[in-house]
Amino acid sequence: MAQREVERFERVVLPHLDDAYTLARYLLRDEHDAQDAVQDAVLRALRYFETYRDGDARAWLLAIVRNCCLTWHRRQRGDRATVPLLDIDVADIGGGRETDARAIARSEREALQRAVAALPVEFREVIVLREVQELSYKEISAVVGVPIGTVMSRLARGRKRLAAALGVGVQEAG
Amino acid sequence: MHCADYRELLSALVDDELMADEVADVRQHLAGCADCARDYDALEEVSRRLKEGVVRHSAPDVLKARIRSALAQPDAFSPAAEPPRAPGRLRWTTLAAAGLVIAVASSAVTFGALHRAGPGNGVPEALLDSHIRSLMPGHLTDVVSTNQHLVKPWFNGRLDLSPSVPNLDSLGFPLIGGRLDYIEGRPVAVVVYGRRQHVINVYSWPVNGASGTRPAAADQRGYHLVEWRAGDVEYWAVSDLNRVELDQFVKLFAR
Repeated sequence: MAQREVERFERVVLPHLDDAYTLARYLLRDEHDAQDAVQDAVLRALRYFETYRDGDARAWLLAIVRNCCLTWHRRQRGDRATVPLLDIDVADIGGGRETDARAIARSEREALQRAVAALPVEFREVIVLREVQELSYKEISAVVGVPIGTVMSRLARGRKRLAAALGVGVQEAG
Repeated sequence: MHCADYRELLSALVDDELMADEVADVRQHLAGCADCARDYDALEEVSRRLKEGVVRHSAPDVLKARIRSALAQPDAFSPAAEPPRAPGRLRWTTLAAAGLVIAVASSAVTFGALHRAGPGNGVPEALLDSHIRSLMPGHLTDVVSTNQHLVKPWFNGRLDLSPSVPNLDSLGFPLIGGRLDYIEGRPVAVVVYGRRQHVINVYSWPVNGASGTRPAAADQRGYHLVEWRAGDVEYWAVSDLNRVELDQFVKLFAR
């Protein structure tokens, strides 16, 4: 591959590294696994860069990251207990006495992270792609490789589970 | 349509992913159905909380450094003759083997590149291979810490040397951690620093009867190496960081 191609790759793909890493963090729930998966995905992306046509590079990269993460998942399954890790700001921990309002906000954020981490992966991935990465249904459908209708129903079911886990609008059994 | 038919559309309405006529239809239903309206509010609330409260991560500098380093490898660009393995802890072995071939092929050329010999003339190449290997997944550090008071004691009992681990964080060179490595068959201490997306490996090992020497620089395969001695300790810094900043780092480290 010519040096120019490599430079084009760096220009087109590398700006989306944060998004790639965020997706991997949510899918694998482990910081080191996420780093390994993203590195693997980027190298894979480079090898298949010729097949990339001008278009949404972010969605293209996210699709590769997702596949690397799921491969990783399958290889690791059974190897370890999956304990959802929390992403808590260190600054929030060492802060000494915190106000009630801050404590509540923090515990709400933790509950949210925990609820997302506890979702089965097929719901978690569409939720993250939609709410964190803000992809359209069409883009999510391309990344995950399922029809738009499936994206729609997984999002609906994922949100419903989250609503139940967070105690949002559950006045009656359904 | 019945309520059940609307349930899936409610979530899509939150995302603004419905056709105009569907939107009108769903809105009309919501106006007359308290159950569905409550469900819709709940979905919207969940979506709002996620957008506001969920953590977005930044790719760590070390990951960027690893990727940059991997992209700089000549074989990174070869078309997918062998599709890359799933995230692999094994891959470094092939890379190390490749590095060895390069080292052997180029050792004749680099033999005289450094004006001062270490324990052997293969040292710079061995350091460079170690540096490149350290950038592969899971190989950078044995002890990960940004705290010098944790990294330094970690070497106790593992080496006959307690390497210096200065705190250069405030000067733009954050500590990443440390590891044990083997260079030409001897265990050496490696203290790892970062600079933006670059990684700096500082190798050190004891030498006999030497006095201090000023830093001497060498470039190899696009990487920069700096060697110096302080008392009876030999130091090497290896990085793909630019020459000016690496020299600056060495000056601060050796201070």
